[in-house]
Amino acid sequence: MLEVRNLHAGYGNVPVIEDVSLTARPGEILLVGGENGAGKSTLMRAIAGFNKPTAGEVLLDGRPLHGMAPEAIAQAGLRLVLDGHRVFPELSVYDNLRMGAAARKGDRAGFAAAVDEIYAVFPILKEKYRKYARDLSGGQQQMLALGQAFVAQPKVLLCDEPSMGLAQALLPQILAFLRKWAETGTAVVIVEQHLKVTAPYADRAMIIERGSVKFACAASELEARLSAPEAAPAAASA
Amino acid sequence: MAMSETMAAREGGARGKPRFSSDLPQMLIGFVLIAITGFVPSILGNSYWVHTFQLVNIYIAASVFQNFLFVDAGQKSFGQGVLLGLGAYVTAIFFGLHDWPFLLAALAGLGAATAGGLLFAFPALRVQYFHLGFVTLSAAIVFPQLLMSLDKWTNGINGISVSMPGLHQEWFLGLSPLTLMIAVYPMIALAIHYAIRRSRLGRDMRVAALSPEAARSLGIRPGVMRFIAFIIAAIGTGVCGILYLPAVSFVSPQGFNVELSFVFFFAVVVGGRGQMLGPIIGIWIVFILPNIALAQFVEYRLLIYGLLTLLTVILFPDGIVGSIERWRARRGVTGRGEQAFRVDRFLETLEGGRETRPGDEVVVEVRGGTKKFGEVVAVDAVDLKVRRGEIHGLIGANGSGKTSLLNVLSGLSRLNAGSFLIKGEDATRRSADRIADMGIGRTFQTPRIFPQFSLWDNLRLGIDARVGDGSADIARLADALEAEFAQDSAELLSHGQRRLVEVMRAVLKEADIIFFDEPAAGLSQGERANFAKLVRFLARRMGKTIILVEHDLELVWDIADTITVMEQGRVVASGSPEAMSNDPAVQHMFVGGRRA
Amino acid sequence: MLAEILIIAVRGCAIGSIFALIAMSFNIVHGATGILNFAQGNMFVLGGFAAFFLANEAGVAWWLLMLPVAGILVAVLVTVQGWITLAPLRSSVEQDSWLISTVAFSTIIAALLMITQGPFAYTVQGPVPSFRILGVRTPGAYALAIGAMFFWYFALRIFLRHTFLGLAISALSQDFDAARAAGLPVRRLQLLAFAISGLIIGTAGFLVAPVISVASDAGLRYVLNGFVAAVVGGIGSNLGTLIGGPLVGIIGMLTAYRIGGAYQDLASLLLLVAILMLRPQGLFGRSSARRV
Repeated sequence: MLEVRNLHAGYGNVPVIEDVSLTARPGEILLVGGENGAGKSTLMRAIAGFNKPTAGEVLLDGRPLHGMAPEAIAQAGLRLVLDGHRVFPELSVYDNLRMGAAARKGDRAGFAAAVDEIYAVFPILKEKYRKYARDLSGGQQQMLALGQAFVAQPKVLLCDEPSMGLAQALLPQILAFLRKWAETGTAVVIVEQHLKVTAPYADRAMIIERGSVKFACAASELEARLSAPEAAPAAASA
Repeated sequence: MAMSETMAAREGGARGKPRFSSDLPQMLIGFVLIAITGFVPSILGNSYWVHTFQLVNIYIAASVFQNFLFVDAGQKSFGQGVLLGLGAYVTAIFFGLHDWPFLLAALAGLGAATAGGLLFAFPALRVQYFHLGFVTLSAAIVFPQLLMSLDKWTNGINGISVSMPGLHQEWFLGLSPLTLMIAVYPMIALAIHYAIRRSRLGRDMRVAALSPEAARSLGIRPGVMRFIAFIIAAIGTGVCGILYLPAVSFVSPQGFNVELSFVFFFAVVVGGRGQMLGPIIGIWIVFILPNIALAQFVEYRLLIYGLLTLLTVILFPDGIVGSIERWRARRGVTGRGEQAFRVDRFLETLEGGRETRPGDEVVVEVRGGTKKFGEVVAVDAVDLKVRRGEIHGLIGANGSGKTSLLNVLSGLSRLNAGSFLIKGEDATRRSADRIADMGIGRTFQTPRIFPQFSLWDNLRLGIDARVGDGSADIARLADALEAEFAQDSAELLSHGQRRLVEVMRAVLKEADIIFFDEPAAGLSQGERANFAKLVRFLARRMGKTIILVEHDLELVWDIADTITVMEQGRVVASGSPEAMSNDPAVQHMFVGGRRA
Repeated sequence: MLAEILIIAVRGCAIGSIFALIAMSFNIVHGATGILNFAQGNMFVLGGFAAFFLANEAGVAWWLLMLPVAGILVAVLVTVQGWITLAPLRSSVEQDSWLISTVAFSTIIAALLMITQGPFAYTVQGPVPSFRILGVRTPGAYALAIGAMFFWYFALRIFLRHTFLGLAISALSQDFDAARAAGLPVRRLQLLAFAISGLIIGTAGFLVAPVISVASDAGLRYVLNGFVAAVVGGIGSNLGTLIGGPLVGIIGMLTAYRIGGAYQDLASLLLLVAILMLRPQGLFGRSSARRV
C-alpha cells in the first residue's frame, strides 16, 4: 500500500505541490485528474523520487521512501512509468523489457513468465521483439513502456498519462491491461486527461488543482462531481 | 514625471529596497584594491613589490575578461594565455627585433591577439560548450610549440629581451608611466565588464548562454553572441599582453605555456564565477599564494592550482566572493508573495486605440505542414490560417502536436514537408531569430525567467528584442515597470507570475503576432480571469494576432475568435466557438461539465 | 617514394589507433554521464608509466601478466576520479562543474608526475620485437596499438549490445530519467563506465609505452588528439573512432614528414576547427549519435 502524507514539492524555489495526501491500495486503481500545470506530473515525480519533496512523507507498506533516489525507490517496489511513451530507442524491444528487470533481481523464471504474459497481451511486441524501440509507433512504445514496468512486478505502479500522443482508440486496450494488472494485487495510480474514458476502469478518483487536492471520490461519482464543481469543496476528503 | 521615476528606480536603495545586484559596489571595491596594490609599492619605493603587483594586476585584467567570457557569455576557455602571449610576443618581435616604434608594434600585437581570438570565435559560431573548451585548450598546447619551432621569427627558446627605460622613468611620487598604465588597465577592464553586463549586448549574451531557445525567440543569434564575446575577450587580453612586455622586459616560450591559461581559468573559479571581485581575489590566491607567499615550494604550484580549484568546485562551487555574495543575497532578498508581479494596473497605462475587430488579411498560414520525430508523426499535413487581430485557440489532447506546431511556427524546429507563411512571406526555412524579428513573440510552457537578472531586466529583454522604434505608450509602460521592479528578484516569483512576466516581455517587444503555449496552466481562477482580460486587451485594443495553445477550454471558448482542434497531429476541426461546441470531434473533450 | 607513403600510412594508422582508443574511452563515459573527462590523457600516460615500472624489459610472460594489472590500476584511479567528479553533480544546479574538476584533475596528475618523476620522457622496452614492412623497420608496439583498437572496439560492441550491464549503460545514455525510473543503479553504472574507460586507456598506455612519450607533460597532447578523433568520428560513435583516429594519426604523420614534427598538434587543432565549422556532428554523427 502506498501512503502519501502532506507532500510538498517543486522545482528550485518554485513550489508546485502543496500538502497533497493520497493512498493507493493493492488491487485498486486510483485515477488522478486535473488540468495541465495543476501539478499531476510533479506529484508523480515527487513520489517516485525525481523531485525531492520539501516536506511530507511517502510510505510504501509503512516504509518511508521520501528522500531516496528514484532508482532506489523503483527497486523498493514503486515504479513510475513516465509520460510520453519513453523507452530506450536504440535498444531492441526485448532488451527494453530486460532493463525492466533491473528492479527485480535474480528471478529469471519470473522474468521469462512476465515477458510471456506481456507478449500475450500485446502480441505486436512479440512480433517486433528484435526491432529497435525507435521503430515502433507511439502506441507500441507506450505498450513497451508498460511492459517494462510489468516485468518488474512492482507493488505500486504510477502511470503518468498513458494516453499521451496515442490514438484515442488505443486507450481502452491499455486501460484494460492496467485493470487486469491491478487485480493481481498491485496498487495502480493513473494520471490521465481523458477522465471520461478512464473513470470506468478506476476505483477511486482525485482531482488536483493548483498543486493541491481539490476533491477525492469514488470513480463512479467523478462525472457527477465534475458537473457540479461548486459543490465540491465541502465534500473534499481523501 | 517618467524621468524622475526612472531616477528613483536607479537609486533603488533610496526606496528602501536592498540592491538586487552588487556589481557596482564590487567594482568600486575592486578599483580600491587595484589602486592600493598598483600605487602603494611605488610610493613606498619597494621595487620588488612594484614588479610583483604589476604582473598580478596584468593577470587580474586578463582574468576579468576570462570571467566575462565564462559567465556573461557562458564560454569556458582554456586558452586565454595564448591571446596574452600573442599580444606580448608579436609586440616584442616588431619592437625588439625589428625596431618598430612601440605603439606601432603594440598595434600589431593587438591585431595578432584579435586574430587568435578569431580562431576561437569562428568555431563558436557553430558549436559551444566542451567543444570550445578543447579548441582553446589545443591552442594553449600548440602556442608554445609554435614559439619554439618558428624560431626564425621568434628567436626560439632564447626569447626576446626589450628595454624601455622611458616607461620606467619615475614621474611623481615614485610612479612611472608604466605603473600608472598597469594599475589603470585592470580598472578599465572591470569597468568594461560592468558596462557590457548592464548593456543590451550583455543581456543578450547572457540569455543566449542561459537558454539558447529563449534567446532565438527574442531574435538573438547565440552563435553571433559567442563570436562577439570571444573577440571582446581577445582584444582585452591582447592589451594585457602589450602591457606584459614592458613590465617583464622579456618574453620566452616557457612564459606562455598551458599553465598561464590555467591560472586565469582557475582564478575565476576560485574567486567566484561571475562576481566582479572574483578575478581579483582569485588571482591573489591562485597566483600569489604559490608563487610568492610559498616561493620555496614553487615547483608545487601546479599542484596547488589544481587542488585549490578542485576543492572549490566540490566544497563551495560559487567561489570565495560568490559564497559571500550568496550569503548576503539570502539575507537581503525578500519575497513579495502574490502581489509580487501584477499586470492589470499597468495595463491602465495603455489607454491604447479603439476597439478593433479581426481583419480578413491572413497573417499566419500553414500549408500541408508535416513534422516527424523518428517514426512518430507529431504534425501531420496541417493546414491552418490565422487572420490579423484574431485570437486563435489551438486545442487538443496532450501529445496531439500543438506545441510541435508552435515550435515550427517560431522557427525552433523545421517542417519535414509543407510550408508556412508569416505576413505573406515564406518562413518555412527561416531561423528562429529571423522569425522573431518579423514581429513574432512567444511564451514557453516553462517560462524562461532568469534569476540572474532583476525582475525589470527580465522584462527589459522584450524591449531589447524590439525591432524599430517603440510606441510612446509602451515607453510609458516600460518606465512604470522599471520604477517598480528594478531592484526586485525574479527568483521568488510564483509559476503564474513567471508566466505573466513572459507575456509582458512579448508586449514590450511590441510583437504583433504572439504565440502562447499553455499560458493558463498553473494559474489560479483569479489569475486566469486577469489573463483573459490581458489577452482580449492585446487583441482588441492593441490589434495583436494571438495563437493560443490551451487546455482550459472554458478560457478558450471565452476569448477565442476561431478554434482549431488537433488530434494525433492532424487538424480535425476548425471554426468559430459556437460551431465548435456542436462539433462531434470536440464533444468528447468535455468530461462532466465544461473542463477536461 | 612508395616506402615513404607506406611508412606514413602504417605509423599514422598506428598512432591514430591510440587516439581512437582514447576516443572510445571518452565515448563510454560521455554516454553514461555526459562528461568528457579531460584527465583521460594523463590517465593514458599513467598506463605508460605502469609499463615502465612494472614491465620494462620484462619477458613476455611477466609482461602479459602485468598488462591487466596496469589496466586495473588505472581503472581504479579513473573510478575514484569519476566518483569525485560526479559527487557535486548530485545536488548542484549547475551541471558543468565537471568541466572544471576534470581539468583540475588533469593538472593535479601532471603536477604529481612532474614532482615525483621529473620532466623527462621515460624509455620503455616492450617484449614484442620490431618487424619489417617492405624493408622498413616498424616497432612491434605499432602492431599492438592497431590490435588493441580493434580488440576494444569489438569488446565494447559485444559488451554494450549483448550484456545486461552494457545494455544498461547504453540505456543510461539514451534516456537518463527512464533509466532511473526502471530502477537501473545509475550511479554504479556511471562508475562502471569510468572504470571501463580506465581499463581501455590503462591497457592502451601499457601496450604502446615504447612508442609514446611517457612524460609528465604529455597527457594534454593525447587528450587533445583523442578528442579530435572522437569529434571527427562523431562523439558517441565507436565506429567513428575507427576512422577518426587513423585519420588524425595520418594527418599528423604527413605534417611531421612534410613540414616538421613540431607542427603535428597544430595540424590536429586546425582539423578540429575545420570539422567543427563544416560538420560539427562528425562523420558518423546524428544517426548514430545516440548509440554508444
